[in-house]
Amino acid sequence: MTQNEWLALAPFIIVSTLAILIVVVDMIRPGRDHLAAVIGAVGVLVAMGATIAAGPIGGLGGLPPEGMALFGGVYVRDGMTAFLDLLFLGIALLTILFAPDYLIPRKLPVPEFVSVLLFAVAGAMLLGGGRDLLILFLGLELLVLPGYLLAGFSKRDGLSTEGAIKYFLLGSFSSAILLFGLVFVFGYTGTTNVAEIGDRLAAIASGDAPLPVALGMGMALVLTGAAFKIAAVPFHYWTPDAYQGSPTPVTGYLSVGPKVAAFALVLRLFMEALGPVRADWWVLIGVLAAITMTVGNLAALGQDNIKRMLAYSSIAHTGYIMVGLAVAGGATDPEVAASGVQGILFYGFAYAAMNLGAFAVVAALQHRPGVTSQISSFAGLGRRAPILAVAMTLFLLSLVGIPPTAGFFGKAVIVIAAVEGGGLLTLLAVVIMLNAAAAAFYYLRVVVVMYMRDPAENAKPVDVGGWTRLGLIVAGAATIAIGLIPAVTGAALDWTLEAAKTIAGL
Amino acid sequence: MSLPETMPYTGWRWDDLVFLALAGVMLGSALLVVLSRNIIRSGLFMVLSFLGLAGIYALAGSPIVAAAQVLVYIGAISVLILFAVMLTQSKAGPAALVFQRQAWIAAIASVVLLGLIGASILLTDFPAAEALPTVHETREVAFLIFDANVFAFEVVSLLLLAAVVGGIFIARRDESADEEGA
Repeated sequence: MTQNEWLALAPFIIVSTLAILIVVVDMIRPGRDHLAAVIGAVGVLVAMGATIAAGPIGGLGGLPPEGMALFGGVYVRDGMTAFLDLLFLGIALLTILFAPDYLIPRKLPVPEFVSVLLFAVAGAMLLGGGRDLLILFLGLELLVLPGYLLAGFSKRDGLSTEGAIKYFLLGSFSSAILLFGLVFVFGYTGTTNVAEIGDRLAAIASGDAPLPVALGMGMALVLTGAAFKIAAVPFHYWTPDAYQGSPTPVTGYLSVGPKVAAFALVLRLFMEALGPVRADWWVLIGVLAAITMTVGNLAALGQDNIKRMLAYSSIAHTGYIMVGLAVAGGATDPEVAASGVQGILFYGFAYAAMNLGAFAVVAALQHRPGVTSQISSFAGLGRRAPILAVAMTLFLLSLVGIPPTAGFFGKAVIVIAAVEGGGLLTLLAVVIMLNAAAAAFYYLRVVVVMYMRDPAENAKPVDVGGWTRLGLIVAGAATIAIGLIPAVTGAALDWTLEAAKTIAGL
Repeated sequence: MSLPETMPYTGWRWDDLVFLALAGVMLGSALLVVLSRNIIRSGLFMVLSFLGLAGIYALAGSPIVAAAQVLVYIGAISVLILFAVMLTQSKAGPAALVFQRQAWIAAIASVVLLGLIGASILLTDFPAAEALPTVHETREVAFLIFDANVFAFEVVSLLLLAAVVGGIFIARRDESADEEGA
């Protein structure tokens, strides 16, 4: 392999080596929780450095701007891979920072947590760069298999085990459905290479022939499998149970990492492989998006448990992101289609920062074992822990989409792209706005409870651990910087657009 | 007397018949794995299902893959699973399956899905359906694994490692719980 090829593969190699290294260190020095977290966090930062050193994004990096294909084109490092790798590594970093203060008081081992998490992130990075059905499927399994384990990480907790089993059963079932769909696509086109599938379908699509039945069946199965992974309605039933049962830092990770990674998979499959027949799928995606955000928001309105509420709200956010995909598939102007993909990437970035932050505050409140995650436990937080309450307010306002936060720009990019798309897509933009207004109710209810209710008589003081504090600073800074500092907003918009344009055919 | 080239009346080739028989064995025993109330029987039906798959590999012209299937899945994995079942089986488990309250709906949905998938395959003319290249030599298989698909091969080993780490964590005795119990 040439030097550039090593450089292109470096981030993936670093993350997978790090996962193994932590297991080895834990074997030599068992039970060093803080040591494992330090190694994990530093290693993720090194991997981020390697990603920037490799590029090619924002004019940075040593690789040529058009990207670099490895192993005969099964793995590609281009602008999209680089952006997604940075995003996945950021998610990993925040999760590692939020975990120790929750796990250690509950006597759950941090080394295993960090190691398993890093395996999952390695899988996510394969989804970001994979251009071959085989690699994409293996990456998906490497992503979700550790996810099942993390969901059941609290072995002695019945809820955690129940959530993990539901997640595992539905997850493996949906993987099988997705695989069956991929087999149809392979059977029709005769290749597993994503770019070649696109080429062969382009030949079919140009003939004005109707969509072949088997290919349609394959698309339906792939869409069903992917909809399970991103938790789109009506394939979302596992989400609230899995999210509520999981240890809170894990819930934060599950609501962000696998979701964004599954969207990377969907982009590769639908925009690159099935891109030539996009006229046959975008309406379906748009309808699913509208149903997903509406059902998610309506269900979130009635929740008393904050983890269940955030679980349903994460379903609603899936709906918003899917609108970006509908725009990418349905817009006739390639520029608008590119801004649809840009919306997916930008929203994924903003959503990762604000949602992980919100779950971190929930985890900080549960610092001592035995504290429930009812919304009523937030009562009077404005007085009991003012800084924590301010942080939570910031994340919730961002989730609503109020300027000047990251969430506002995330929604803005998608809504503007949808309006420019015209027709049915404009209707989707209207649905987003209506949903955002409805969602404001249940997010702001938490703010009201924090500032306007008296704390319970027996409320104990909240002590926020050092790890959590550092993580909250990072998540909060990201949430506010994207919204408030024009240079950061501009860079984020440029990078996401540049990454979006590396998708074939845009 | 020799057999005719194709099957009388249907025009099928004979290996199609063999394929259908093997697939029937594989899917039928897979169904019995799920439906059987006795976990040892489930394990034995799983062996039969793996055997059917090995036959299909052989029929598709990949004897090496078929041999690996027999060695690894039947020889090692199934035996290991049966041992694990025998060592850990507890009498306290429920006598009837608890997950079966929607069996009829599931059965109807499965049949409908089978019809849809079957129809979509029959109604489509697969342009890429040329004869599959058959791989007989170990050398060719080695090239496929360690050259053409080397990245996938490495990823699979990473996946297995992650599964092992996770499996050990789940199965390991909880030290802190032991202290509390002592």
